Amino acid sequence: MKDTLLSELGSALVNGSLTDKSLLAWTDHPSTMRILPAANVIKIGGQSIIDRGRKAVFPLIEEIKTNLPHHKMIIGTGAGTRARHAYSVGIELGMPTGVLSVLGTFVSMQNARMLHYLLADQGIPFIEPIQFPQLPLYLAERQAVIFFGMPPYTFWQPNPKVGRIPPNRTDTGTYLVSETFGTRSMIYIKDEKGLYTADPKKNRNAKHIPRVTVQELKAMDLQDLVIEHSVLEMMENAKNTRSIQIINGMVPGNLTRALNGENVGTIISSD
Amino acid sequence: MARDFDYRQHMSSLLAGESLLDKDVMAATDTPVVSMLPNVHVVKIGSRSILEAGRDVVLPVVAMLGEILKQEKLILGVGGGARSRHVFSVGLDLELPTGVLAQLSMADALGNAHILGTLLAPHGVVAIPPEIFGHLLPLFIHSAPGVIFNGVPPYSLWEHPPALGKIPPHRTDTGCLILSECFGCKSTILVKDVKGLYTEDPKLNAAAQFIDRISVAELRKENLPTLPFDEMLLEVLETAQQTREFQLVDGRNPENIARAVKGEHVGTMVYADQN
Repeated sequence: MKDTLLSELGSALVNGSLTDKSLLAWTDHPSTMRILPAANVIKIGGQSIIDRGRKAVFPLIEEIKTNLPHHKMIIGTGAGTRARHAYSVGIELGMPTGVLSVLGTFVSMQNARMLHYLLADQGIPFIEPIQFPQLPLYLAERQAVIFFGMPPYTFWQPNPKVGRIPPNRTDTGTYLVSETFGTRSMIYIKDEKGLYTADPKKNRNAKHIPRVTVQELKAMDLQDLVIEHSVLEMMENAKNTRSIQIINGMVPGNLTRALNGENVGTIISSD
Repeated sequence: MARDFDYRQHMSSLLAGESLLDKDVMAATDTPVVSMLPNVHVVKIGSRSILEAGRDVVLPVVAMLGEILKQEKLILGVGGGARSRHVFSVGLDLELPTGVLAQLSMADALGNAHILGTLLAPHGVVAIPPEIFGHLLPLFIHSAPGVIFNGVPPYSLWEHPPALGKIPPHRTDTGCLILSECFGCKSTILVKDVKGLYTEDPKLNAAAQFIDRISVAELRKENLPTLPFDEMLLEVLETAQQTREFQLVDGRNPENIARAVKGEHVGTMVYADQN
């Protein structure tokens, strides 16, 4: 009996194996929609920006307010030094990666709450993952929302290949919001101009890299990176967000220029 | 370390000021972890294979689980089965992204968790809402013989884009194995409708050979056309500290579940290679 309710692919999915490569390849068609193509995802670094206090945060908040009439912003927060403290205490006491992930979430949530109060006079809400269905409404009404950057994996955070620190942290959580919602840009605000050949905080001879592909970056096999490795892995598989920019938020005007499509830091692209 | 030009406000800790992306810093965090629930078994009851296969298959499994629960503590995971496959196909047709498909699939697994919960209610086991499941798990396990959860890990809109196609890669087998790893459970058993792993799909080829025990590296080398479990399980095992193996058993003979819980080898064991 032919099942008229199911498409051919539907019938193959219901009856077949989700590990069958030809079936998986079939699911690539048709293409993937962009749910919020006019919005930008912006990640504000924890250690790099928020931990510096008013000196770094206030000018950035002013710049966000200035851009509100022109740009829709989904603003995620990093965790920073308190997460490192919590990870250190937790690792010494034998906490598994999933528990460390919960601890990291709490810190990025504190940072989101603080930025939320600084933007409260603009009517911008802080939303937790459970409130994401309201995201389109808030963007339409208020142009921006704040969320915590950690992906909500909690106890289901996978182990890293080396060590115990959760491999998918706030760079990844914000990236995935951009990828899933198909936003027009993904901008990481840190305290460096982007990617360098070494950590510029420890090595003054480190050279800036303005533009690089994921493949090139992997081939360079740098000891340290300005962005989480999982973001690079996901960029290779991405349907929507195949380019990200890392900018120095300590320089006034950089966010505005990046929102306007300029390269003011490092652009990493999938191809 | 040269920090004279670093003026961020740091808290003193092992990782203060360090990049969490530095390879040496990461390697320094590789130390043993605590086992939160070392006497509990994670048992995943397949949905298409068992729970949706009709009462002749389901009720004997439920009766056996009731028996096992008299002696052992179980965390029972279920999947979304055929309805998740259907919602994937409709969602794909509507051009929705992987994260949305993952979010949608949670509802089907929750439905199946409630079905199993209803059947096991006489044994004091019910489905726990995902919002409170993880944090309260040790309490539930202390107070009840077992719990049921929807095996879907809470990736939802934050699901990773897969290397091939658009189906969410972290599905319910994965949710069960990562849970077992994080909580340091005693064993992880996947109950399906095949004896275990074969060189080919035994439903399609009667000449398929049974694989009794296989490591992740061997399994990757075999490059089988399909697997009777989420491919992501291989990655999870490769980085596992506590759950270094899982067993795939045939639930059409429910006795297998009881034997597997006792530690017997009745199906296919898939194990992590030595690091």
